[in-house]
Amino acid sequence: MAMGIALQLLFTGLGIGSIYALVALGFVLIYRATNVVNFAQGDFAMLGAFSMVVLCIDMQLPYWLGILITLAAMLVFGALFNFAVYYPLRNRGFQPVIISTIGASLLLENGVLAAYGPRPQTLPGFLSFPGFSVGPIFFDSQYLLILGVTVVMVTLQHFIFERTLLGKKMEATSQDKEMASLLGIPVALMIMLTFMYSSALGALAGILVAPILFVSVGMGSSIALKAFAASIIGGFGDVIGAIVGGLALGVVETFGAAYISVPYKDAFAFIVLVLFLLFRPQGLFGEKVAEKA
Amino acid sequence: MLKRMIYQRVVLAGLMVVHTCLPSSAEPLKIGMVATLTGAAAEPGRDETQCAKLAAEEVNKAGGVLGRPIELVIEDSQSTNPGSVLAFSKLTGDKDIPAFIGPIFSTQIQALAPDIQRIGKPVMIGGTDPQLTHMGNPWLFRFRPNDTYSARVIADYGVKTLGKKKWAIVYSTEAFGTNGMKNLVEALKGMGVEPALVQGYANNSQDFTAVVLAVKQSGADVMSTYMPFPPDLAIFARQLRQLGVNIAWVGSPSTVGTTALRLAGPALYGSYAVCDFAADSSPAAKEFATKYEANYKSAPDLYGAWAYDAVHVLALVIDNAKSLEPQKIREAILSVKGYPGVEGTYNFDQNGDGLRGYNIVKNDNGKIVFIKHIDFSE
Repeated sequence: MAMGIALQLLFTGLGIGSIYALVALGFVLIYRATNVVNFAQGDFAMLGAFSMVVLCIDMQLPYWLGILITLAAMLVFGALFNFAVYYPLRNRGFQPVIISTIGASLLLENGVLAAYGPRPQTLPGFLSFPGFSVGPIFFDSQYLLILGVTVVMVTLQHFIFERTLLGKKMEATSQDKEMASLLGIPVALMIMLTFMYSSALGALAGILVAPILFVSVGMGSSIALKAFAASIIGGFGDVIGAIVGGLALGVVETFGAAYISVPYKDAFAFIVLVLFLLFRPQGLFGEKVAEKA
Repeated sequence: MLKRMIYQRVVLAGLMVVHTCLPSSAEPLKIGMVATLTGAAAEPGRDETQCAKLAAEEVNKAGGVLGRPIELVIEDSQSTNPGSVLAFSKLTGDKDIPAFIGPIFSTQIQALAPDIQRIGKPVMIGGTDPQLTHMGNPWLFRFRPNDTYSARVIADYGVKTLGKKKWAIVYSTEAFGTNGMKNLVEALKGMGVEPALVQGYANNSQDFTAVVLAVKQSGADVMSTYMPFPPDLAIFARQLRQLGVNIAWVGSPSTVGTTALRLAGPALYGSYAVCDFAADSSPAAKEFATKYEANYKSAPDLYGAWAYDAVHVLALVIDNAKSLEPQKIREAILSVKGYPGVEGTYNFDQNGDGLRGYNIVKNDNGKIVFIKHIDFSE
């Protein structure tokens, strides 16, 4: 029984953790490209989920088409976001850009509230079966799907950054913009591509999580807070760190809730965050903060 | 001269015609309303104002109040306490408003209470924190049964009717949930039952695995919940079923709120709940539900029904009092006995509490079935 409980908690923790990881990936990519934190990252997830509700519930399109349209629209949205929120302020240091992303986040949430109303929406799961039990453990099919997609996205991302010319250009941009532009890399284009990819990635996280957490205006910001903590634990700016940080956070809070205290579930995530900031500010995989400054 | 006289008569006759054609041209009687139109509780806020408007229309169709049509003046509280105070102060700036429909959220009413006492005009409220009508403020009149009764009805139904003695209580650690939990523990103690599990959680939890496993391990055969947020309730219900917990469930009113029912779907089938509004509980409730659905294309729930009653009762008592004096209106409300509202039968006591009972309902494959109404004499 005790073993069964621990395994159940592990599975749920990994499932919820991989949602944090997907959103954290978006944080990390934009941070690497622009050195700013995009506080609207969670709202990309919210937009993706709402888009699915509009396309697949209201307009009755099949899921695959809804997902394709949503992701394509979010690529365009990412480019617009780049031009409206980041580009005009790119030479003003990081504070104006961060405030600009917070403003964008408020605008997006209240815009969707005004357009779609306050009622939370449901999106049925993507798989036809709810899940299956092995002994005392229940495997929720949606969590399995999220875990699977996370693995695929991480592999794909790793391949793009390590093996393709485009990825190497983006990597070079994030490491040293001046040097990259001297080498003839179109820096502004690379940054725009990063915003486009991050926005589609955020939307994908939102689409995946919608059947579990429902679709509401505030859904993105609550996930984003944990994802932000996850990316710091992983070492801000590190892709593998964001994944490990997200998964670890999910597992820690699930076990903490079960064995220590349920009402303090959210606190465990932030206790871990504070411990990391105190004792290992560079995170699990990050380089020394001094080198980045 | 003659010309002028004819002209005057024509004008006078014209005025007479206009006057008789518009019998309701009497100055409208304004009723103030503080509602959560935006922010976290925007959804219940909309239901509430729709119900109040429906009642106002009916009152006006039947001739209005003191021969005057009533007009609702609605201000948005933005779902926050400071927003409620601001909205109320805007309304009290209008000296023509004799009475108000206040918030449904207890915490907002607490925030308004000092201003209400200072203004000294009657405010109809929907918050269920028992304290509200017991803190010496003579201007608060409650149109929902308070939470001591919900706990007593849950305990009574679970122990006596369902015959369950091993209880698990799951509650949100904020004001509403904590109060509910305390009242329920108290009510169970009165029946000689010590709960097997009392488990708190924080609002907006995305995962309830730990709570479900705690319920499972406690060996409880009946569970009660005080969970205010529909998404929390729905996620919890689904995980409960996934992990194979199928014990009897007697929930607080939010368990049968329309949003919770829609989000949770089959996960809530078979559960019981206490609820102050149930469409099948009385002919008045049934008639109201039909009218509401025809007007707004959705089923009414507990967030709005009380406001419908509040507007009707207010219209009735002002007519009875034949006055807009706050003290006269207050006395007229307190003398309301046996009024058949949609939430139940109103009998106001000296504290300003109108209702003392709850309905027990069952979620029968998504349809809310009325089982019985339990009233207490005090």
